[in-house]
Amino acid sequence: MRRTNLLAFVALGVLAALTVVSQADALQAQKALKFYSFAFTVTPSPSPVGFAKPAAPANPVVPTQVAQLVADPFVGPAQVASADALSWDVAPGATMIAQSSVQPTPVPVQFVTKSDPNAAFLQIFPQAVPPAFPYGTTVIPCAFKVFTFYTNTYKLVDWGQGTVSSGGTMTFPVENYPTASYLSWAVPDFSTTTHTYSNSGAPGETTWAGNAHQSQTHCIDLTLNVPASQPAGAYQATIQYTLYVTLP
Amino acid sequence: MIRRLAPTAAILFLVVAVPFVASGQSTNGSAKLTYKVLPTVKAQVVPNYASGYGPQGGLGSGATPTPGPNAVANGGTVDFGNVVAGYQYLYKYAAQVNVQTNDSAGFVVYAEGATDLNGSNPVPSPATYPILSTLFWLTSSSSNTAFSPATSFNKTGGTALGVNGSNGIDYSGSGGTPPAASTVWNSATGGNISQGFDYQLRLSGSIPISQFNVYIVYTVIGN
Repeated sequence: MRRTNLLAFVALGVLAALTVVSQADALQAQKALKFYSFAFTVTPSPSPVGFAKPAAPANPVVPTQVAQLVADPFVGPAQVASADALSWDVAPGATMIAQSSVQPTPVPVQFVTKSDPNAAFLQIFPQAVPPAFPYGTTVIPCAFKVFTFYTNTYKLVDWGQGTVSSGGTMTFPVENYPTASYLSWAVPDFSTTTHTYSNSGAPGETTWAGNAHQSQTHCIDLTLNVPASQPAGAYQATIQYTLYVTLP
Repeated sequence: MIRRLAPTAAILFLVVAVPFVASGQSTNGSAKLTYKVLPTVKAQVVPNYASGYGPQGGLGSGATPTPGPNAVANGGTVDFGNVVAGYQYLYKYAAQVNVQTNDSAGFVVYAEGATDLNGSNPVPSPATYPILSTLFWLTSSSSNTAFSPATSFNKTGGTALGVNGSNGIDYSGSGGTPPAASTVWNSATGGNISQGFDYQLRLSGSIPISQFNVYIVYTVIGN
């Protein structure tokens, strides 16, 4: 009897532990994820402007030689006709020829958009952003907007798409931990404080949290820092936003 | 644009009778002639040019993309099929540009949308959606993903020919050539060479539910 009670007690304890663990697992779940891609060009800084004196001609024409040639074009040994550096277009007669160009048959592109099943919970609305940025720090006010909603409490988290906790190979501007991101974000509705984007994969960083049935749409300000060592060219940053919700 | 053609130098030895009028004698000489030849440029664009063509991506949308019915091997349409608003897609092996030219200085290939994205079935309001920041291109690579860096197609400033640009773009009223920003390939050599391109679709959450079509027009110009 005593042994039976002990077994029942142990079983009850195991059941209680399993219940707690399973409840912890059920507390939060990934509801939706979206991506914001930011393509831009880094433009070179203006070059200093200066003037250089043109070099003297290598073989200046001597006026007396010109005068002699005018007076007697056939002087000297047998003549050699040469186009030298000159050249003629075909057909001759100073006719200029247009560039050769061709337009192959255009490529038709098609797609059919379907409604987003997650649109009620998470949406990203890109706004107009400049296509090019100079070296230094540039703030892009309201580069995009994010909408969140859920029937229970929730949180929105972000990190650089493709980044991992160690050994990642992502490059400018988001980079990969432990190199700090050159792209930062702020939610001016909450604070002007900027945060460098998390770039070590999941779990990322909390962008904001929400109460049950709280619908929110906020602007995200971006700050891009282009270091002087970064070559001019085209770059892209992609940020993953994930909505985690508390299950009932 | 009018320009000078790339020179092809040649030495041409001639027997020249130099008219020494005064002496009545003749003699031999040489002539160096530098001339230019008319360059030719031919090009073809092949959609769905390699096995494995079609859409992928849509991570987070809950749906796996498959090529639409108009996508056929080595032709047809770059048909993404059904895609979910708010997500990103990559279309592998969308188009291959083949160029044949005797222009030793090479050539430049430009690509633009003949129009914005034309919505139909149902017709959205407005009927078009911007191609800029929606449809992108990148050179084909096995490592490309829906998140790979890519460049947006632009809507042309020229005149679309045919229905929605099905016959190409007329640039005569917009400077004669496509803008430099629409360059997709700049080759410094001539010959018979090809370049493949993948397309990317980055759908905003605000894009209407509809069928969208657009023609991408490639223009090849010798250097």
